[in-house]
Amino acid sequence: MSMNVPRRIPYLVLIAVGAVAVFVILVLSGRVTWFSTQPPVEFLNNMDHNRKAIPQSANGFFADRRSVRDPIEGTVARGLEVYPLGMGDIDLVDSVNIDPALERTAFVMARGQNRFNVFCSPCHNYDAKGNNRITTGRGQWMGIPDLTREQTGALTNARIFHIISAGQNLMPSYADKIAPIDRWAIIYYLRSLQGDAALGQ
Amino acid sequence: MFSRRFDMAVKLGGAAVGAVAGIVFLVIYFGVRNDVADVGYRPEQPVPFSHKLHAGNLQISCQYCHAGVEVSGHSPVPTTQTCMNCHTIVLPESPQLAKVRESYEKGEPIEWVRIHKVPDYAHFPHARHIRAQIDCQSCHGPVEQMGVVSQYKPLTMGWCLECHRNPEANIVGARPISGVFTGQMHDMKDLKDSTYIYKPIAAQVQESEPMVVPSFGNSMSALPAHSVAGIPHPKKAGLGPENCSSCHY
Repeated sequence: MSMNVPRRIPYLVLIAVGAVAVFVILVLSGRVTWFSTQPPVEFLNNMDHNRKAIPQSANGFFADRRSVRDPIEGTVARGLEVYPLGMGDIDLVDSVNIDPALERTAFVMARGQNRFNVFCSPCHNYDAKGNNRITTGRGQWMGIPDLTREQTGALTNARIFHIISAGQNLMPSYADKIAPIDRWAIIYYLRSLQGDAALGQ
Repeated sequence: MFSRRFDMAVKLGGAAVGAVAGIVFLVIYFGVRNDVADVGYRPEQPVPFSHKLHAGNLQISCQYCHAGVEVSGHSPVPTTQTCMNCHTIVLPESPQLAKVRESYEKGEPIEWVRIHKVPDYAHFPHARHIRAQIDCQSCHGPVEQMGVVSQYKPLTMGWCLECHRNPEANIVGARPISGVFTGQMHDMKDLKDSTYIYKPIAAQVQESEPMVVPSFGNSMSALPAHSVAGIPHPKKAGLGPENCSSCHY
């Protein structure tokens, strides 16, 4: 073999090695990841997982493995406001649901709009007219009332509070999702949507 | 100098040792670097719930199901009752919902597989971040586009600090998509045309003016008072994660 023949620089090999090196560095630094259904392997878990009750997680201490315990029978958690009326008790509403008559500040109305859009709009739509984005065209769910009609506008605030809290017909109770003060804010916002139809306030 | 056989043995042995060392390195590296290993965790859930359908297409706000996230440190996984609010009427016979109906009738919770978890010695308060108007996507990624949810961000301390030291750079783009401001989702189909997504953070905060008035509902304390040009800013003294006991308590 002659020593004088200059060796050609293997560009292709260099490029390939460079690409592999870049890929390895990206993977090691976490820039490139891929999906896995398996839980991540943790050799040194750095005490990430303690044996303690975490909200809504499984816990071997209890026979039914729930860390969230049901309240003891006949007790109510401190600060929890339980709505006392059932779905059929709509005639008792005026003595139970006392309108706190919050000042209709911009913030209260924005809060009402926020809660209305989150919890009510899936069925009643953002404008409360009932043509929502979920059931329209799917034919699943008929007869969602237009809340801006006069019949609804004539309901008192206490009655609307009752319907939100205890449900009505197909509508379930939202007492566990919307705090009482937020329900009043929703009612004020609904009144602003009803405009002239809002006779009951 | 050596026999051909010995030469071959040395080469093979070297290759074997190299391969084993490489595999051991990778296993230990990904075992230790939890931030790298955790991203992309996409477990199979007991019920094939699609966030893409519910939050993306149907535009149901995150907080409809994860109700209470704005007043609680823990972001609640919805109860079976929440599913049945609609699914008593919508698709009541669907075989994919068999476990939901069973859970509802027996009163036993569905065991969803947890994806996002900070270490047990650290506390992440959801409520504070929601009330500082940080969008869900900032930490959870584009959940409304995920058919099956996976972890999107590493959720390590370094990652937390990266955002807290420079929030403007990290939370601007995605902010109002999940409706933290108004409860109204923004249609993912029109996302490119959305006037919200490319707006600078200062303008977004001005638009959301009502939210910065304190004391309402369950959240009776004032919203973050420290701000830079009207933006709730965690960098200011006393508010931030520069204090160890902000998260480790």
